[in-house]
Amino acid sequence: MLEKMKEIISEQLSVDADSITENSNFKDDLAADSLDLFELVMALEDEYSVEIPAEDLQNLLTVGEVMNYLKEKGVE
Amino acid sequence: MKTRITELLGIEYPIIQGGMAWVAEHHLAAAVSEAGGLGLIGGANAPGEAVRDEIRKARKLTDKPFGVNVMLMSPYADDVAKVIVEEGIKVVTTGAGNPEKYMDIWKAAGVKVIPVVASVALARRMERYGADAVVAEGCESGGHIGEQTTMTLVPQVADAVEIPVIAAGGIGDGRGIAAAFMLGAEAVQIGTRFVVSEEAVVHENYKQRIIKAKDIDSAVTGRSHGHPIRCLRNEMTREYVKMEAEGKSFEELEYMTLGALRRAVQEGDVARGTVMAGQIAGLITKEQTCKEMIEEMMAQAKTLMKRD
Repeated sequence: MLEKMKEIISEQLSVDADSITENSNFKDDLAADSLDLFELVMALEDEYSVEIPAEDLQNLLTVGEVMNYLKEKGVE
Repeated sequence: MKTRITELLGIEYPIIQGGMAWVAEHHLAAAVSEAGGLGLIGGANAPGEAVRDEIRKARKLTDKPFGVNVMLMSPYADDVAKVIVEEGIKVVTTGAGNPEKYMDIWKAAGVKVIPVVASVALARRMERYGADAVVAEGCESGGHIGEQTTMTLVPQVADAVEIPVIAAGGIGDGRGIAAAFMLGAEAVQIGTRFVVSEEAVVHENYKQRIIKAKDIDSAVTGRSHGHPIRCLRNEMTREYVKMEAEGKSFEELEYMTLGALRRAVQEGDVARGTVMAGQIAGLITKEQTCKEMIEEMMAQAKTLMKRD
């Protein structure tokens, strides 16, 4: 899943995929602003056919947190 | 002129008024609605009960529909969201964030929800979560702004969503309305021009500053800390931009503008206050009633578009 995540994040945020790790913080490490995060979350919803409501979004600060969240939603 | 927006909102003309803080109070909202557009009461940072009071006062002035703009970063946003339902308001626009958490209570009450968006992804998200329309607002607008222009944002949003799009930012006459329709909008949101309407209860100095503004008088403060605000340049903006260039902290910059919008709008301090206005201020040359403004703009737009 990490590889797919890297691909999506790299495309949506225009950052080098190799610079992304599970510990990457979207705002601090990947310089994403709120509009970037909406780009990303829409891409994730499309890719994994899940809904990520706004109240959950505020707790998803790193790549690893998003991966755990998706796993809890049944994404493999 | 009929569009999906006029049908959705039950209004005569495809014009909605911006939910401007300190400006969009009940006199203006009622006047725009009476003239056939959609007036809006700006919730801004006001408590729920203050918004309720404004809604009731507007009802005394008009039987036509009007809406409320909810500023989502307001500490009172939850209260205002409830007051809207309790008072039977049927149209809400939202700014400064994502209104998802209120979608259920508003939809259940039959409220039409129209978020203001500054990107395609946010527009798509709002559609997915039940929005009835979106306002695509370009950075020509006054107040808090995004990065994209109306010219570029509106057609991209119109292509990305099925729900109708309302264009905002830089529209102040019939040419602007016609242009917005060419870009795929089905209505426009207008702010700055209504600030100088006879019905707007703002300080005369503020109106005159907009009326006298030239094309190059628009300034943006706050880019350095990621919260850009467009207003008319004055002593305050010059000092602000200088302090930003010197790398002053967000706190120091914030302190300078504390209460500055109110100082401009209500006290008429156009030298040290935040004189919020869009880039179209230079086009606006006279005070008129809202009815005169709307009828003049629509007549011009219809001629240009060759439609009724």
